Amino acid sequence: MDNNLIKLKPIEASPALPNLDKLCDMEAGRMSGKIFWDGDIYEQELEKIFARCWLFVAHESQIPKAGDYIATTMGEDEVLVVRQKDASIKVLINACPHRGNKVCFAEAGNARGFICNYHGWAFGTDGALRGMHESGVYEDSAFDKSQHGLREARVDSYKGLVFATFAADAPSLAEYLGPMAWYLDVILDNDEGGTEFAGGCIRSTIECNWKIAAENFVGDILHAGWTHDSAARAMLGGAVAQVSDFPESWSVNWNGHGYEFARDLVGNAAVLGESAINKYLHLQAPKAAERLGEFRSRMLGAVSSFTLFPNFSFLPGQNTMRVWQPRGPNKIELYTWVIVNKNAPQDVKDKWRRGAMMTFSPTGVFEMDDGENWEYCTKTSRGKVTRYQDLYVGLGMNTRLADTDLPGNVFKGQLNEANSRAFYQYWKDLLKAPSWADVPDRNGQLR
Amino acid sequence: MTTRVLLCQRDELTPGSLKKVPNAEVGDICVYNLEGQYYATADLCTHATASLAEGDLEDGLITCPVHWGQFDVRTGEAVTFPCEKHLRTYQIIVTDKEVFADVAKEAEEALAADLA
Ligand code: FES
Ligand code: FES
Ligand SMILES: [Fe+2]
Repeated sequence: MDNNLIKLKPIEASPALPNLDKLCDMEAGRMSGKIFWDGDIYEQELEKIFARCWLFVAHESQIPKAGDYIATTMGEDEVLVVRQKDASIKVLINACPHRGNKVCFAEAGNARGFICNYHGWAFGTDGALRGMHESGVYEDSAFDKSQHGLREARVDSYKGLVFATFAADAPSLAEYLGPMAWYLDVILDNDEGGTEFAGGCIRSTIECNWKIAAENFVGDILHAGWTHDSAARAMLGGAVAQVSDFPESWSVNWNGHGYEFARDLVGNAAVLGESAINKYLHLQAPKAAERLGEFRSRMLGAVSSFTLFPNFSFLPGQNTMRVWQPRGPNKIELYTWVIVNKNAPQDVKDKWRRGAMMTFSPTGVFEMDDGENWEYCTKTSRGKVTRYQDLYVGLGMNTRLADTDLPGNVFKGQLNEANSRAFYQYWKDLLKAPSWADVPDRNGQLR
Repeated sequence: MTTRVLLCQRDELTPGSLKKVPNAEVGDICVYNLEGQYYATADLCTHATASLAEGDLEDGLITCPVHWGQFDVRTGEAVTFPCEKHLRTYQIIVTDKEVFADVAKEAEEALAADLA
């Protein structure tokens, strides 16, 4: 796919920042809080990470019919995800190619097209410019409508999840996900009916850097037993499981994506305190085993979490999927959804939706615990001296497992910062690379 | 001077489809096949500038591709905002093989609806 086809002007790569190795050294397992606070770094991230990587934009179930759309953002770029007449999906920049006005103000709906409020340019659901107010006068200036439609991003999907990228030179989505797709199947493919989002999108803001949230899900179960202890006691009447006691527990990563997991089937789900959900998982596990094998069938609602680089995360069991939308270096807008198996009984779906509201939403007890920590992890870095001090990311250094059949870069145990190191390494590699071709392949080499 | 204009072959349009027929004298014409019945109207939307042939035909209504105003293609009635001025219709003449419009006459449905 070339940029011409999607009519996107490529942005010229700005030179890499000079001091990245000082700020982030994953060989040594240390970094500085400056990367959570600095405006220049943030601008580089928008360009070299969010304008480049495959970003989650929608679940196919959100836009079943032609003309269905949702509004979201890719980094800070506002986009519309629109179902086409031929059932394909387009991702269009939600900015008018005349003076840049926002074209669609609704968050979701069904439309025949989009009309700009400013001078009345009218676009089809495919983004093509179909007419303008006073269209006759454009003819005198040899106006070519076909060149002035809404700009498009590249789109691909994986088992219901729709991703888009602005980079013509990005690898395919399949290459980008690599062996992590094998783990995603635990959620996306444990049932023949596939998945859907239950209910709408919950939006909230947290005053933290997006990386802290993404990293928390990529491989920080360590915080849960401590941070969430009181919430777990309130929800469950007891403590969160002692993760260090799990006999089977891993951290795996690839290209900066990471999944940390146990095989206890219901560990995450249990904090919702809904016996119907636990029962559903127990009944579903044998069916999942037929599709995915016994190993992955025990991961369904287990103590686990993952992040697909850069900012799409998921908690199995609680079944919350989220995007940490960057809004400046020290703020995120959190978009949260609940994913369920399409074939699950309606009351189980409802319980999951409510359970997510109680735990991981602006009214959720767990979200509050996390939000406070993440805000202060960010804000302490406003101190000019504090900002440059080392932060330790060395837990589990040299615990890579060689003798395993599991796909990806596999590390021992979940209480391990290997996935965080892989995440920040990939982050730095992208910030240094002038183009996708220059991003080094570190799979197999990380410690 | 004849007022008869060739629109298409009888088997050219499948039911539910439509096409634009350029015409310099009376302006472009749009011909529709509604479940086997042919209808013809002006192709230019009465609201602003748009070719109705690029719009969506559904249940006898043509939706303008630009601002989604709608007309009943049988009577030419403007039924959905921002279209307020009715659409010119033409009487259809079907022969063995071909479909014509008489551009001097309105469609019978339009006359019956008293919109012309
Ligand atoms: S800014 Fe959209 S029409 Fe002018
Ligand atoms: S031009 Fe047809 S509705 Fe406006
Ligand atoms: Fe947490």
